[in-house]
Formats: sequence, C-alpha cells, structure tokens
Amino acid sequence: MSKKRKITLSEEELVLALRNREKIAIEALYDMYSSSLYGVISRIITETATAEDLLQETFVKIWHSFSAYSAEKGRLFTWMVNIARNLAIDKVRSKDFKNQNKNQDIENNVTFVDEQKNTVYNPELLGIKDLVGKLKPDQKAIVELVYFKGYTHVEAADELGIPLGTIKTRLRMAIMQLRTHFN
Amino acid sequence: MEDIKAYIESGILELYVLGDVTPDEKARVEEMAAKHPAIKAELDEIERSMEAYARENAVAPADDLRERILNSLVTNYGDDSTFDKEMQETGAKVVPMVQPKTYNFYKYAFAACLVLLLASVAALISTYNKLQDSNVQIASLQSSNSKFAKIVNLKLGELQVYQDASFKFLKLQGTAKSPQSQMTVAWSPARKKVWIDLHTLDVPANDNAHQYQLWALVGNKPVSLGVFDKTAADTSDMKEMQSTASADAFAVTLEPNGGSKSPTMDQMVVIGKF
Repeated sequence: MSKKRKITLSEEELVLALRNREKIAIEALYDMYSSSLYGVISRIITETATAEDLLQETFVKIWHSFSAYSAEKGRLFTWMVNIARNLAIDKVRSKDFKNQNKNQDIENNVTFVDEQKNTVYNPELLGIKDLVGKLKPDQKAIVELVYFKGYTHVEAADELGIPLGTIKTRLRMAIMQLRTHFN
Repeated sequence: MEDIKAYIESGILELYVLGDVTPDEKARVEEMAAKHPAIKAELDEIERSMEAYARENAVAPADDLRERILNSLVTNYGDDSTFDKEMQETGAKVVPMVQPKTYNFYKYAFAACLVLLLASVAALISTYNKLQDSNVQIASLQSSNSKFAKIVNLKLGELQVYQDASFKFLKLQGTAKSPQSQMTVAWSPARKKVWIDLHTLDVPANDNAHQYQLWALVGNKPVSLGVFDKTAADTSDMKEMQSTASADAFAVTLEPNGGSKSPTMDQMVVIGKF
C-alpha cells in the first residue's frame, strides 16, 4: 500500500465508518488527525519517543472506546484531542516519566537534543508562534499554559496569581480572538 | 435569554471544550446545550475554532509512525484477514540502536585508515630516502668503475708497447735552448703507432697559451704528430700520438695552443735521430 496516499472522509462518513469498524476508517482517522493530535501531544511532551508512544496510545484508545463518543455532544476532534491531552498530562505527571527524565544517560541526551532541534526547525511550529503572537500578552500566557503545557484553569490561575473568574474571561477572550482569526 | 448570555460569557463553554470541567459542570453544559440552540451553536463555534487552531499548529509525526500505529490498531481490530499481509509483516520491523553502532564502526574504521595512511607515508619517505642514497652510491660506483676501466685500458695499451718487439725506443736529447730536457718516444713502424712516455718527460712546464708539439722528420720534412702538455701534476704514464709509418727523427717544439702547421725551429726543446 502506498504511503503517499492519504485518505480523507467527511466527519460524518468517518464517524459512521468507525462505528462500523471498517478498516478504511483507521487509515482515514490517522491521515486526517494525526498531525493535529501530534501537534498537541508534542507540545506537552517534548521528548520525541515518548510523544510518539503517546500518539499511538491515543489512537488505540480512540479505537477502543469509540462507542463512548456521541456526535450530539460535540465534534469528533474535540473528543479525540481531549483523550490525547489527558494521556499526555497523565504521562507528564506520572512518577515513571519524571524518573525517566532524571535517569537519561549522556548518550540518550545527545539524540534527545538532536530530536528537539528537529522540532525547533519544523516549519509547522513557526506558525503557532506567529498566531500566539497576535494574542494580547495576558491572553497569550493563559493559552500557553492551558494549551501548550496542559495546565487546568485552576492551576493556571494559581501560576499567574489571577482570580479564577478572570482566568475564565481571559481564556474566553483569547478563544474569541482565535475565532475571529479562523472564521 | 439573559441567563443564557451570562452563561455563555462565563467562559465555561471554552473550558468544556478544553475538557477542563468537573463531571457536574460537564453534565450541566450538556444539558444546557440540549435545551438551548444558542449554546449549542456557541459550543460548535468554539470547537471549530479550537480544531482549526490545532490544525494550524499541527506537527506531522515521523513517516514510519503511520505504519506502526496502524499496525497496532490492526492487532486490536480482531479480523486481521481484511488487511493486506504486507502491512502486517512490516509491522514487526524493529531497528533499535543500529545507527549508533554503524556510526562507531565508521569512526574507528576512519581512525584506523588514518593511522595506516600516516604509517604508509612515513615508510614511503624512509624508503625514498634510502633509494636516493643508493642511487648516489650507484652513480659514484659507476663513475669510479669507468675511471678504472679507462685506466686499465690505458695500462693495457702501455703494456703492449713494452711487450711488442716491433716498438723502437728513442731517447730525445735537449737542444741548446734547453740542454737539461729529455724525452722517450716509442715507435712501431709495423703498427704505425707512436707513444710518448710522459713519466720520464723532462721539459719545462708550458703555460696556458702554449703546447708542446711532436714532429716526425720524414726525409727532412716535418710531419705533425699532435700536441701534448707538460704540467706539474701530470700523472699519466704514456700518451698515444698520431701515427706515422716512417720517420728519420723525432723532435718537439713549443707552439701556440693547438699546434702549428710547421715547427718553429728556435722553440725546439728536444730532438732525437735513428
């Protein structure tokens, strides 16, 4: 099978195909959403190998628990990205991950740094910085914490020393800003 | 209606989309969305913008990850027969740590090559120097060899003069100009050869502008037999001169360099008659 061929379906078709456990659904799901999901994961977990494992876990979980998804409650991507984010945040907070980071030997660190370099030069990453640059500084701080670092809004409020209500308003303003940008 | 607007503006819908709500809040949002189309529409817009935002910030995972992940889903799929075999086979591809090893191998191989190269260059230089020395030695041996060959030939020629019975030896005596001078000439009429003995030659040393010239007197007519030098350091024993078949007498005169056509009689140093 050709690697170059990417499958794209409409969201309705994809949901139906996933529900019917069709093999084409798996490929379409990966081709349509892997980059967006990996973009979120790789920002929370910078280490490539772990981020790749997490992307795999995310797809396995999506595939396994697809019956829990309900189109009435929201879009497919919202449901999937929350699975990815939760897995990534769980991983960051796990003892295992913290120890692993401490115990990296020199040789691993070399490739680790190299891999990080690649991420830095990824042209797709340049886009975010531009976009986030368009947000006001206080909005930007919240989006970075909540979106890039996987903070909850409660933790973000703590971190920034701002009342919860203000955090919510600013987050809303930031997303409104994004809405005008995308619509 | 006021309630709905305030609810929307509270920011809870954004948190809902980000998955950052308690189960109670979640249930409440879903309930409100089901009841109020305005909230449902707002939620949908937030979702779309976050999805677009995620797409804008997408990072393409490594190409080989696609195979790996699709295959891991295949294992969970249950009915593997619906997938092509090729995909499953490539799924078990494990390539850990190959790169660092080859990297090390080439590093050491390169170092080894460098050492070999340096050793070879050093060996080459020393061999080249030895070769140069040998060439110099060969050249000097060749030159001394040819010198010896020349000397041997000369000596053999001289020896012949003494062994050959046809040679006559004539002692030339000094003239009035140089009474002390004397010289020995060996002549073989049969072989038409004339040698002079430089060893016993006793005449004044000539300067750079003049040479001694040997003459044969054939019926009172002088015939030139060539020129020779008398120098203080002359070690040659004998010298072969031009040939003549007949001679009544031999004489030597001092002439300008290269000799003259006829002898300058007042410069005659020695003469001898048969």
